[in-house]
Amino acid sequence: MQENHNSKYSNIVLIILLLVGFLFIAVNMTPPIKLIKNFVYYAAYHNVNAANQIFQSAGNFAGNIKSIVYVSQENNFYKQKNQELIDKLRNYEAMCAQYNELIHLLDIAKMKKTKSVFARVSVREPGEWYQWLIIDKGLNHNLYNELPVVVPGPDGTLMALGRIVETYKNSAKVALITNALSAVPAKIKNKKIDCLAEGSNSGLIKITYLPLQADIEVGDVIVTSPLSSVFSEGIYIGVVTSVATQPALDFQTATAEVMFDSDSLYEVIVLVPEEEETE
Amino acid sequence: MRKILYYIFFYVLFCLLQFFFGRYINVYGIFPNFILIAVVYLGLSRGRLTGETMGFFLGLTWDAFSTDVFGVRAIMFTVIGYFAGMMNKSFDKDQIFTQIIVVFFANVIYWAGFSLLYYIIPEGSSSYTPFVITMQGSIKIAVTVVITPVIFYILNAMTKFGRKHI
Repeated sequence: MQENHNSKYSNIVLIILLLVGFLFIAVNMTPPIKLIKNFVYYAAYHNVNAANQIFQSAGNFAGNIKSIVYVSQENNFYKQKNQELIDKLRNYEAMCAQYNELIHLLDIAKMKKTKSVFARVSVREPGEWYQWLIIDKGLNHNLYNELPVVVPGPDGTLMALGRIVETYKNSAKVALITNALSAVPAKIKNKKIDCLAEGSNSGLIKITYLPLQADIEVGDVIVTSPLSSVFSEGIYIGVVTSVATQPALDFQTATAEVMFDSDSLYEVIVLVPEEEETE
Repeated sequence: MRKILYYIFFYVLFCLLQFFFGRYINVYGIFPNFILIAVVYLGLSRGRLTGETMGFFLGLTWDAFSTDVFGVRAIMFTVIGYFAGMMNKSFDKDQIFTQIIVVFFANVIYWAGFSLLYYIIPEGSSSYTPFVITMQGSIKIAVTVVITPVIFYILNAMTKFGRKHI
């Protein structure tokens, strides 16, 4: 009876001791404890192996501390950024409220808000390189015909690429602004000169309907005009490379190079108008 | 009280033997595993509870004096103490053959368990490759096994002396 009791007791003690042992192993995995332990060992036995272990533990520990400091700094930076964005959002909301009031008072058409849908270029035929391409988003992603397609520029600006002309379940066909069938109402940036940007099935676009007396120079930037039914105002189209004036005609024409990099076109943004909020 | 003193003495004796005299008696890094012999002796002579408890504390002390993962030896010696204690009633600890066999198997358990634990937790095992039988390791086991009857004899003699005079 006594033996049986002892056996049961020793089993319980075994389990407890094993649990404690595993707990020590788990705790030991933390670098500071490892460092202290190795240091104690080095104090008892001075040898190269122990010193190596200490330096290794100290290195890991220092690495972790460094990471923590970096993360903390990053955290502070993002906190600050977050605060700035919150402030901007607050201002934006105030402006929106004012804008809505003015719209109501003046009874003018409301500016449409858009949301960006990122898509990848899935097909682009070399024979029709400057005419159209296929993207991997379609009806399932709430895309439909006549939506503007843009590409992000290096400084966050948007560059006009084309418009959706055919929409399928999971894909859509985009007619590029360089397509000969495309014509986008445009204007010269900062000059208040309206014109039309027509595609030519090449990397260049024709800028037509420029008034004869208009001051057009090489290097002028062409942006979308508020008259465009597809693009919103101010999206970059291209840069004027040459101007041709023929006195016999009523208008000047110019040639512009498109701003987007036609050779490395992999990702695009479709600007989808947000649905009106019901108040 | 006498029992507690006996265990403390036992603990201190084997700690000194393993950690402080070990460096003087080692040849090319090979010296017997005195603590393993002590745990097996305690298990065989005093039973499971004593074997596992003393095994745990001796292992923990060794862990503290090594750069390996803390707790690995404590677990191994606890298990060895427990298994040695299980043979308390079935084997005669005074027989040299029994001592050698039990210590040999304890060494095998120690090596296998150590390897298994380091296999599960590879961190900190830079100087130890699990499940690899090395010449040094094998000689260490052989030396431990060979020295076992001597240690058992001394311990038996000390215990008898203690019982008579203290």
